[in-house]
Amino acid sequence: MDALLMGVTWEDIRSWLPSFWSGFLVSVRITLVSLAIGIPMGFLFALGVQVKNRGVRYLCLLLVEVGRGAPALVLLQFVYFGLPSAGLSIGAFVAACTAISFNTGAYTSEIIRSGLAAVPAGQNEAVMALGMTRWDGLRFVIIPQGVRVAIPALLGFAILVFQGTSLCFAIAVPELISRAYDIGSMQFFYFPALGVAGIFYVAICIPASFIVSWAERRAGAYSQR
Amino acid sequence: MTIDTALYILAGLPITIAVTGLALIFGAIIGFPLMLAAQSTFAPLRLLTVGIISLVRSVPPILWLFLIFFGLGSGLITLSAFSAAVVAFGLIAAVNMAEIYRGGMVAIHHGQYEAATALNFSKYRLYCDILIPQMMRVSIPSAATYAIGLLKDSAVASTIGVAELAFRGNQVSLQTYRGLEVYAVVGLLYILLSLPIAALSREAEHHLRAKVSR
Amino acid sequence: MKASPVVKLQGICKSYGSHAVLKNVDLEVQAGEVLAIIGPSGSGKSTLLRCINYLERPDSGVVAVNGLAVQGGTEPKRNELFLLRRSLGMVFQSFNLFPHMSVLQNVSLPQQRVLRRSRAEADKVSMQLLDRVGLADKAQQYPGRCSGGQQQRIAIARALALDPKVMLFDEPTSALDPELGLEVLAVMRQLAESGMTMIVVTHEMGFAENVSDHAMIMADGRVIEYGASRDVIRSPKSERAIRFLRAVNER
Repeated sequence: MDALLMGVTWEDIRSWLPSFWSGFLVSVRITLVSLAIGIPMGFLFALGVQVKNRGVRYLCLLLVEVGRGAPALVLLQFVYFGLPSAGLSIGAFVAACTAISFNTGAYTSEIIRSGLAAVPAGQNEAVMALGMTRWDGLRFVIIPQGVRVAIPALLGFAILVFQGTSLCFAIAVPELISRAYDIGSMQFFYFPALGVAGIFYVAICIPASFIVSWAERRAGAYSQR
Repeated sequence: MTIDTALYILAGLPITIAVTGLALIFGAIIGFPLMLAAQSTFAPLRLLTVGIISLVRSVPPILWLFLIFFGLGSGLITLSAFSAAVVAFGLIAAVNMAEIYRGGMVAIHHGQYEAATALNFSKYRLYCDILIPQMMRVSIPSAATYAIGLLKDSAVASTIGVAELAFRGNQVSLQTYRGLEVYAVVGLLYILLSLPIAALSREAEHHLRAKVSR
Repeated sequence: MKASPVVKLQGICKSYGSHAVLKNVDLEVQAGEVLAIIGPSGSGKSTLLRCINYLERPDSGVVAVNGLAVQGGTEPKRNELFLLRRSLGMVFQSFNLFPHMSVLQNVSLPQQRVLRRSRAEADKVSMQLLDRVGLADKAQQYPGRCSGGQQQRIAIARALALDPKVMLFDEPTSALDPELGLEVLAVMRQLAESGMTMIVVTHEMGFAENVSDHAMIMADGRVIEYGASRDVIRSPKSERAIRFLRAVNER
């Protein structure tokens, strides 16, 4: 253990904390922006893969398959290092949010799609028999029920998005991992610095996973009614 | 993109496959006792295992990779980048496989235990003849989905210099300033790689369903 | 002089793949009439009912409701379907209430969206109808808290709230315990007495015989018996209908 800690002192760790805290805030900010853009995008994709118009449907299918199929790291590098070669230069933070939002959109579209599919067919029949329009049916009947089914999985995915922000290290966004890596390499305290970053992730993800399982139980109880 | 750079990137293919495959094999083996321990009636063992599983899952892969490669590497044992990647992803795969096995176990109908008890099966026979075959049927499709996820996660190994697909793509992009097409090709290669896994999983599911038909 | 029928189906055919479910079925219902459609399961009676409001699309034939005729086998215009369904209320075997809305919202929302009634107006109509089916006290509950019989009565109120010309019932009591079925049948009888035109697919022989004016027996996608309900049920003519009614009575 001593070999790993390399004589790091509490003073050392305390002096790192401001840097970790601002790195943590960067991670949180990327997560929130990506969720705020990605989930509505997932909604559009989920509806888009079901529309009659072939062009729109295939385009949505393609985007979803690429967003889910390609590694998030490669998407990130594509946006940050790739787009400038096409003359579109963007900052690291914007690149991170763009790539992770797209990734989020592709994944959550599947979650939302299966949530909508879980609404019994009879609900749609009732909508039609009542003479409500397709859009009214979606808005008042299908989407509210489908979203309720999808919420636990969406919360679970939000945790993965937070963890996924760690990949932004690769494009030099100053988030948690970058801070840990910088401190580790400057003072050669790799293990303690990375460990502190780990504690941040654990402190967020473990309580969050309790919330997810609580939401799952609640959703289960709801469907029993 | 020239033939040479294309070949250079493609040379990363076996390395990506090796990292993913070795980690998956390690995970599939270690995951099983982990799952059993997480369900143990001996509380300290159960709590310890459940704690380890949630600890490993709540830290992102890149951090495990760094902890093992830079963290352990700087103080204790020095591992090559490749070995560090296999160890890190193997560890992550193990806890995820344990969860997948657990899901398979949970899906088994309670009546199966009662029937086996009524038939006076030993614990060993219960597991080998009744539980594991049924658990596998449920687990294999999820394991395949996970394998595809792991394949994509393995791109993270590029950050410690394992010369797999993403690493080579990155290098070519930096040298040629043709990032757009290089990353597109690399992304496509991952998508192509995941296709046979999905096909294999369908095949295995089909096979197992026929064998363990209800 | 005979009034023109409110519902008129002509030569309705429907197949799923190579399996013909409806083979050239005709049907006429006059205003104020109650028609019971009975028959063994798989005879096509539910499919026929669902063809009337186009939940199923007939492969050929004409569906005419309240003067609007829709030609089967072609893609119906959205406006045509809307007008068709405007004059038809439907009650399902599985109720299909919206579980995430209160009972009152279930009855009110369709009025607001389809008839453009104000919320206050819709709520007022809803309360009157809920009172009529004996469930005014359940208005603020969620459907999940109501018994099956109560849910079905709410579904009837929901359909009535849109002022339909004709009510379609698809085995409305089949998912219910006999006792709960009775309360639904009582509401349906009361509705019939008030002069509502009704087409009811059912297994309830008592209802078919005593409440409905006409009865129709279907088997294998065809109408095998049709007439005044008492005649059809008491003295069927075809051998197939006799066999079916005997099987029902032996239970």
